[in-house]
Amino acid sequence: MTMDTLHLPFATKRASGARFWRNLSFWGLLPSWLLMGFALILPIAIIAAVSVATRGAHGGFTWDFNLAGYSQILFNEGWTGELEFTPQYLMIIARTFLLAGATTLICLLFAVPVAYFISRQPPSQKAILVYLVTLPFWVSMILRVYAWMIILGKEGTLPRLLENLGFPPGMSFMFNDGATLTAMVYTYMPLMVLPVFASIEKLDGTLIEASHDLYGDRWVTLRRVILPLTAPGILAGAILVFVPSLGAVLEPTLMGGGKQMMMGSLIQLQFGGGRNWPFGAAIAMTLMAVVLIFLIFTALRSARKETAK
Amino acid sequence: MKKYLTATALAVCFASAAQAEGQLNLYAWSESISPTLIEKFSKANDVKVNVDGYTSNEDLLTKLQAGSSGYDIAIPSQHFLRVMIDEGLLENYGANKLKAYENIDARWRNQWWDESQEYSIPIAYGTAGFVVNTERYKGPTDSFKHFFEPGSELSGKIAMLSYPDEVIGAAQLYLGVPFCSEDQAEMKKVLDLLMAQKPAVAAYSSDNIASRLASGEVSAHFWWDGEELKARTGGSPFALAMTKEGLVGWLDSMVIPKGAPNSDNAIKFIEFMSEPENATEQMNFYAHSSPMKLVAEKVVYTKEKAPELYPEVPVAFSRTCSPAAQDLVNRVWTQLLQ
Repeated sequence: MTMDTLHLPFATKRASGARFWRNLSFWGLLPSWLLMGFALILPIAIIAAVSVATRGAHGGFTWDFNLAGYSQILFNEGWTGELEFTPQYLMIIARTFLLAGATTLICLLFAVPVAYFISRQPPSQKAILVYLVTLPFWVSMILRVYAWMIILGKEGTLPRLLENLGFPPGMSFMFNDGATLTAMVYTYMPLMVLPVFASIEKLDGTLIEASHDLYGDRWVTLRRVILPLTAPGILAGAILVFVPSLGAVLEPTLMGGGKQMMMGSLIQLQFGGGRNWPFGAAIAMTLMAVVLIFLIFTALRSARKETAK
Repeated sequence: MKKYLTATALAVCFASAAQAEGQLNLYAWSESISPTLIEKFSKANDVKVNVDGYTSNEDLLTKLQAGSSGYDIAIPSQHFLRVMIDEGLLENYGANKLKAYENIDARWRNQWWDESQEYSIPIAYGTAGFVVNTERYKGPTDSFKHFFEPGSELSGKIAMLSYPDEVIGAAQLYLGVPFCSEDQAEMKKVLDLLMAQKPAVAAYSSDNIASRLASGEVSAHFWWDGEELKARTGGSPFALAMTKEGLVGWLDSMVIPKGAPNSDNAIKFIEFMSEPENATEQMNFYAHSSPMKLVAEKVVYTKEKAPELYPEVPVAFSRTCSPAAQDLVNRVWTQLLQ
C-alpha cells in the first residue's frame, strides 16, 4: 500500500511533476527576483523618472515632465545670457572614459602575469595567494585610498625612502593624474586578477607544450595559444574594472586633488551644491546608457566569435 | 581557504547590543558634539544616542529632501536653515517656548534665518577664511589678495574646499561683489579670479585638512576658525588670516527634521545642550564660539587664548541665495573644475 500511494503523484502523472518543478523554481528564484526588483530595477526606475522631472527651486524635484536635464548636457545659458553649445560636460565625460580606460589597461598589464604566476603554484600555496589578492576587500575603500595618501604624500613613506636614497627632500607625489591612477589601479586590481586567474587556471598545460613542440617560441605561444584561450577571463576582468572606474569619485577627489571633475563628482555636485537633481539623474542615465551599449556590443562580439568556432 | 575566510570575517566583525529605553539619532557635523555630553545625556535619560556625521550643508539638505532620513536632530547653518524652513523640511517644535530660548545670547535671537525662532536653537557660530602654516609661509595675511592672487611663495601651496559655498563667498568679499549676486557680469569676475588662482591651487578638498596643512603639503588652506584653533592649541603652527575684506560667517542651529521618530528625546537633548554648564562644555570641546549664555569662568577659549574666535575684521554671514543666484554659483564652480 505504501509503495503505491507514495508513487502516485510522481508516477501516474508526468505533467504534474513538471509543474511541481516549475513551481519549485518559481518559489526558489523569488527571493532573487525580489532582491533584483527592489535593489536594482526600482532605484534605476526612480532615477529615470527623476531625470525627466522638473527641478525644485532649492533641490528636490516636482513630477512635471521636462527634458531640461538632458538638454543641459549639451546646451546651457552662456555668460552673455544666450543658450549656447557647452562642451564642458562632454569634456568631463571624455576625461572619465579616458581615466577608466587607462585604469583597465594598466590593471590588465599587471594582472595577467600575476594570475599566471599564481596558477602555476602548488594547490596549497595557490589558495593562500588567491586569499591575499582578495584581502584588500576586507578593508573599507576609503581607508585604502587614505593609505595611499600616506604613502605618496609629503613626508610620506615613498618621499622619505627616496630622501634616504639621496633624492632631494620634500617631494610629494600627490594631486596629479598619476596619483589618481595609482589609487584606481590598486583599488580595482583584484577584480581583474580573479577572473583572469580563473581562466588561466583552466588552461591546459599540454597545449603550451604542444605549441613549443611545433616550434612556437614564447611570444607566439603567448599570442596564439594563451591569450585566445584566456580571452573570456580577460574580457570579464576588463568589464569589472572599466565599469566601476567610470563612477569613481574617491580617487580623483582625494588623490587627484579634485581639480578636474569626473562624471561621479559632476553627478554628486548636481545632487548637492548644484541643487539640480533632474540634471544629475540625466547624467547618471546617460552614463548607464553608454555602459549598456558598450556591454551589449562586447557581448554580441563574443557571441559571434563563439558561433564562428 | 575557508579557514582564512572565517578568521578574517570574525576579525572584522564586532557586535554591539546595548539596549536602552529610548533612541536619539543625531545628524551633526563630523566630530562636532562633545562625546562627554552625549554620554552624560545618554545616562541621565536612558537614551541610546546614535551619531552620524556630515561635512557639508549640501549633504544634509539633500538627505532631508530625499525624505524619511530617520534623524531626530540636524544642525544646518543659517542660509540652509532658511531653505529648510521654507521647503517644509523641519518640525515646528516651538523653540521659542523652551527654556533653551531664554539661554540664547540676545544678539543671536530671532534672526532672519528663523525670525520667530520656532524651528531652531543655535549651538555654534564662527567664520571661514584662509589658514596658513606659519612655519612654511612668512608673508602677509592681511588680505584675501595673498590667497586669491598669490605670489610665488604660495604658488602650488594653496588648497580650497571641495564645494563652492563659503569659497565663493570669500571671493565675493574680496571683489566687493554682493553675496548671492544675480548679475552675470559680477559672477564672471568671480570665475575669472578663481580661474587665475587655479594654477596655484594644489587641491580642492574638504577632507583631511589638518594633516595636509601640518605636513606642508600645502601652506594655505581655506578653513574654519574653530578647526584652526583646535589644531593650533594641539601644537600645529597655524594662524587664521584676519583679512581686511572680512571673513565669511556662519551659525549652526539644532533643528528637528519633519517626521523625526523621537522628537521628545530631541527636545530633551536641545534643552540639555543649551544649559549654560553644558553649552560651555560644548564650546570647550568644539572650539567654535557659542551663541548661548555660558559659565564665563569655565570658558577655555577666551579672547586672550583664542583671538581667532573674536575677529576685529568685519564678519559677513552667508545668505540664502535665490535659485537664479545659486545657478550662477554652480556655473562658476562647474566651469572652474570642468
